[in-house]
Order: sequence, then structure tokens, then C-alpha cells
Amino acid sequence: MSKGLAFDKLREILLEKDWEEREEFAQKLNDLDDQLNSRNRLQEKIQPILDNEREDLRAKFPELFGPQITESIRKQISESQDEVVEALYPILGRMIKKYITSEIEKLSEKVDEQMKLAFSWEAWKMRIKAWFTGTPQKDLIISKLIEPKIEEIFIVEKQSGMLLGSFSKNHSVDQDMIAAMLTAIKTFVEDAFKGETQELDSIDYDNYKIVIKNFKSFFIAVVTSGGMSMAFRDKLDDTLLDFAEKVLKKAKDGDDEVKQESITSGLEEYFDNFDKHE
Amino acid sequence: MNKKVILVGHFGVGKTSLVQQFVYSKFSEKYLTTIGVKIDKKVVEFDGHQMTLLIWDIAGETEQNSVSKSYKLGSHGIIYVFDLTRPSTYENLSGQVEYLKTLLPNAPIQVLGNKKDLLSEEELSSITETIDFPFKTTSAKTGEYVEDAFIDLSKAML
Repeated sequence: MSKGLAFDKLREILLEKDWEEREEFAQKLNDLDDQLNSRNRLQEKIQPILDNEREDLRAKFPELFGPQITESIRKQISESQDEVVEALYPILGRMIKKYITSEIEKLSEKVDEQMKLAFSWEAWKMRIKAWFTGTPQKDLIISKLIEPKIEEIFIVEKQSGMLLGSFSKNHSVDQDMIAAMLTAIKTFVEDAFKGETQELDSIDYDNYKIVIKNFKSFFIAVVTSGGMSMAFRDKLDDTLLDFAEKVLKKAKDGDDEVKQESITSGLEEYFDNFDKHE
Repeated sequence: MNKKVILVGHFGVGKTSLVQQFVYSKFSEKYLTTIGVKIDKKVVEFDGHQMTLLIWDIAGETEQNSVSKSYKLGSHGIIYVFDLTRPSTYENLSGQVEYLKTLLPNAPIQVLGNKKDLLSEEELSSITETIDFPFKTTSAKTGEYVEDAFIDLSKAML
């Protein structure tokens, strides 16, 4: 065997495995090249991964980006208030218009009802009632349209602001705090205007009116909603005076708890059906 | 049993901070002056008794008799607060307390020297020596003797 032939044979023996592996690698490389350069095949492979990631991101989006988005919106609003107002104005305007329209419709319906009754027995009864009681007929009509209601009553010790008793239809507020705050407001107003004998007797806010009836050592604050007619106010004043005379005088003596219980039960007795009688 | 408690004293002595610490267990370094009056409520329990305190935190005054007494009337207890780090707030301590005692003869008074946390032991003892009036030291910041001050006053109001 020649030297060259022997060398080739030796190389063939030694490198045979390497050649096989090289061919295998080349094949794999060709396949990979084919996959990467063919859009459809690449999409087929990557799409499930992208779908998974997208679903994951969607689920975690508020948690990941919520604070940044809120901050960015807040900044945008504070830096471009005019633009925000301009954008919201038509929407809010439409909402307010819609609300007012619906309220006017309701009022108009009630006025229609009253007009229909204008020549009825009911109307004549109202005229006679107005004539006898001295209450203007318009007040009687208004009270029928937007009926006044008593929402809460507080009996408060004048100087300390302590709650002596209360009556409430919904018990939604801390009544001790309200009694103290009402006393502070009364004190502030009465001090500010230095009225030695003058006292705050009503507070108006939104659809509510707080009627305050002042007595020597306590005051009664009545929170009312709806239209306050003269007739309602008269009836309320009379009832409060009667209540003060009959219940509060009796409850004056006795310890705090007994006093509070008897005042509260007295309030219930006097005012539970007060609106219904009106 | 409901009781009205007033907090009075010079402005900036920490009356509002004491109430915040007592009612909400909170303290803030920010100073916001009280306008008029601020009212809070807390129920305390001691020795088998339960008492509801309506706490009237009245805006600071340099002299107790210089402003309207209306907010103070009808109080069952008084907490007079001064600032241990500002001598002007305790210069006329006995005079101020005397005025309150005349105005509300039946109301017990608790006198508190606040901001104890800002002083070292030595500073505190030298200040205490200069004040010729019984008082307790507090810190609205750390809460030291805050709850106890209200409980002691509640016991005295029973």
C-alpha cells in the first residue's frame, strides 16, 4: 500500500464520525434557516408563546401599569384643566339638562294635577282652609307639591353641646358629634355678630333646612327636607312648644340616661307620624 | 355617660396633635393652625366605667381671657397645654389656670407640658424647676402620657 493511500485510509477511519456529525449539523442548520426565513413557519412556532404572553399581560395590566396611568392622567388633568373642562362641559351640560328636564316634567305633572283640581271640592276646601288659617293659598299648594319632611331632630344642651335626646328616620350620622358641631356653629355665628339676645334660628343647605328653636338652657334643631310652607312651620313650632312644655319639663330632673330615654321616646311619640298628618 | 372636654393653651403647643394621638393614634410633623374649634369623640373605659368624651380642641390663644368664652362654657373637664420648649407659653401658667377655674369652677383641670421628646433629661429637669405649678409632661409624638392624661381627667370628672 502506497504511503498516500495508507494516509487516506487512516484519515477515513479517524474522521468518519466527525463527517457524519458535520453532515447532521449542516442538515439542522438548513432546517433552521428554512424555518427562520419562512414567515408562516416562524409564526406557527412563535404565535402560541406570544398569545400566552399577551394573555398574561392583559391579566396583570392594571397591577403593572395602573399607578403610572393614574399618575399620568392626574398630571394631564392638572396641566390642562381648561381642555378637560372644555371636553367635559358638553357631557355634564347634557346630564344636568336631562336631570332638570325630568324634574320639570315631574313638577309640571303635579301642577297639572293641581290645575285639574282647581275647581274641585279639594280646591274649595284648600281656599277655605287658607282663608281660615291665614296661610297663603300658594303655600298650601307648594307644600302639596314638594311635601316637607322631618329627617332628624336633636335636643341639645345649650352651653355644653351635649345631646339630650334625638329622633332620626335613618340614624346615618353620629348624633353626639352633630349636636356638638351644631352648638359650635351656633356659638360662632352668635359670637361673630355679637348679638347679645339674638340667636341663630335656621341653617339652609341644599334641599335641607335646619330649624332651630331656642329655649333657655337647650335648643331643638329640626332637620327638614322639601318645601317649608308657613303652615308646616306653624305646626312644627306649635308641636315643639308643646313637646318642650310637656316632655322636656318633666324630663329635667333625673339622671342623664333616664333623661335621654324619656326625651327620645317623647320625640318618637310626637314626631313619628308628624309628616303623615300634614 | 357623655362629657365635654376642652383643650386650651397658646397656639402651636400641640393641642391638636395630642387629640390626634389620643383619638387616632397618629402624629404628623406638619403644623396646621386650628380655626375656631375642632370636635372629636372617643369612648374611654376605666375601672369598669365607660365614658364618651366630646373633645373640643379650641384654637390657640395667648391669653385665656382675651377671646370669647362661649366654646368653653358647659365643659366638664379642661386640659391646659403648654410647650416645654417655649417659655412664653408657660410664663403665666398659674394666672391662666386660675382664670379657667373661675370660669368653670366644677371642671377638673389637667395641665400638660407637651413636646417632651424635644428635650434631653437635663434640659427637662432644669425647665421643670423653673415652673412653679403642678403639671405632667407629655409627648404627642411618642404618645407618652397622652392616653393616661385623658383617663386621669375622666376619672376626675366621674
